[in-house]
Amino acid sequence: MKLYNVKLLTITCEILAQKNIIDILKNHNITGYTSYEVDGNGEKGLRGQGIQAEKNVKVEIIMREEKLSDVIEDISRTLFPDFTIILYVSDVGVVRTEKF
Amino acid sequence: MDIFNLIQSNLLTPIILFFLFGIIAARIKSDLKIPEAISEFLPIYLLAAIGLHGGIEMRKTGFEEMLIPMLVAIGLSLLFTLNHYQILKRLGKFNIFDSYALASTYGAVGAVTFSVGLSFLKNQGVTSEGYLAAILAVLEPVAFIMAIFLTNMAVSKQIRSKKQSFSKDDASDIDIGMKETKTKLSQVLQESITGKAIVILLGSIVIGYIIGEEGFEPISIVFDELFTGAIVIFMIEMGIIAGQRLEDIKKVGMFLTAFAIIMPTFNGIIGVLVSTALGLSLGGAVMFGLLLASASFIAAPAVLRHAIPQANPSLYITSALGITFPYNIIVLLPIMFTVSTLVHGEEAIDLFNYVTKVFI
Repeated sequence: MKLYNVKLLTITCEILAQKNIIDILKNHNITGYTSYEVDGNGEKGLRGQGIQAEKNVKVEIIMREEKLSDVIEDISRTLFPDFTIILYVSDVGVVRTEKF
Repeated sequence: MDIFNLIQSNLLTPIILFFLFGIIAARIKSDLKIPEAISEFLPIYLLAAIGLHGGIEMRKTGFEEMLIPMLVAIGLSLLFTLNHYQILKRLGKFNIFDSYALASTYGAVGAVTFSVGLSFLKNQGVTSEGYLAAILAVLEPVAFIMAIFLTNMAVSKQIRSKKQSFSKDDASDIDIGMKETKTKLSQVLQESITGKAIVILLGSIVIGYIIGEEGFEPISIVFDELFTGAIVIFMIEMGIIAGQRLEDIKKVGMFLTAFAIIMPTFNGIIGVLVSTALGLSLGGAVMFGLLLASASFIAAPAVLRHAIPQANPSLYITSALGITFPYNIIVLLPIMFTVSTLVHGEEAIDLFNYVTKVFI
């Protein structure tokens, strides 16, 4: 079966940044994403425990390459200075490219 | 009763003991924790119980009585927020974002602190006015809205003055800035009014008002008798979270630590005195003082992180949760109770006299 190349953008961030990210995606006409709660350790120490507002989430978005750099630029410009965010991109293959 | 005796006997109540126990559990790195679903459920339960009681009481007393105390509470909350800002900005040398975030955290109210206060009064055999629950609901967004408004004003002013030095035709940019401020404010207003804390609190007040004493009878076993027990369970969780943050207290610095203790004391005692002058009962004055003394640590991060993202959240969460909350429930409550007893003890209330007596 033929697989089409698209990009997977993965963002690990504090839960209160999730809404900002989804708003940015919306501005670029991207509505699909998957998110889940996670915990881990990093520059800001152990995160994801304690009070609800300090939880961490992982947001995954599959998108076409054309939109990718604009989305990433928006996120880096507006959210990097103030929020805890790790962001990376990987290549993935999908069957139904028209969904993205 | 002597203040120290009262603090001592307060220390030995299950609420405080379990809170301290939670701190110890966190310090020895125990894996003890309250399941997440329960620690999310308990604040909802506490607010429902507070609201029901408030509603039932308000049915007895009517609405007219609460209008003036509510307006005074809003006024004081705004005034205190401005006062906090000036102190933090000028004396504490915090940046504008941290100053506004902290100022509103301390201007806002804490629902958990309020629950502990109610149970403290119950322990002392004292009641308080039911409409204080309604004041709790109204006060919740007030300080945030003002702080966010002022932050945005300050930021757009900065942008404007920067722009003006570059070019003359910048009206559009200012408009955009103003529009952004407006959307941010209406968003915050909408989010806090539809937020779970206010929705459950107002909903329960209305239901309590409708059902009255008789309708409450069949559910009183859950919402009355279990109240203190539920707080105790929640206190374990609060203790654990506070215990995990003990190291962070070093990071907030001496100034903020002192601020987190002195400001609530000042605000709380003013609250007790003012509400006594307004004619609130002994217990009511304590709760009124507690409303003004408490800092928000459940609602604050969720609101402020969006509205003032530049502010450092660990400053306002740690100081409110790690310092002010324990101080309020262990030390300040007995102090305010003593002050309230003193001012209610005498027939004629000479406010000025008491202010000088307390502060000098």
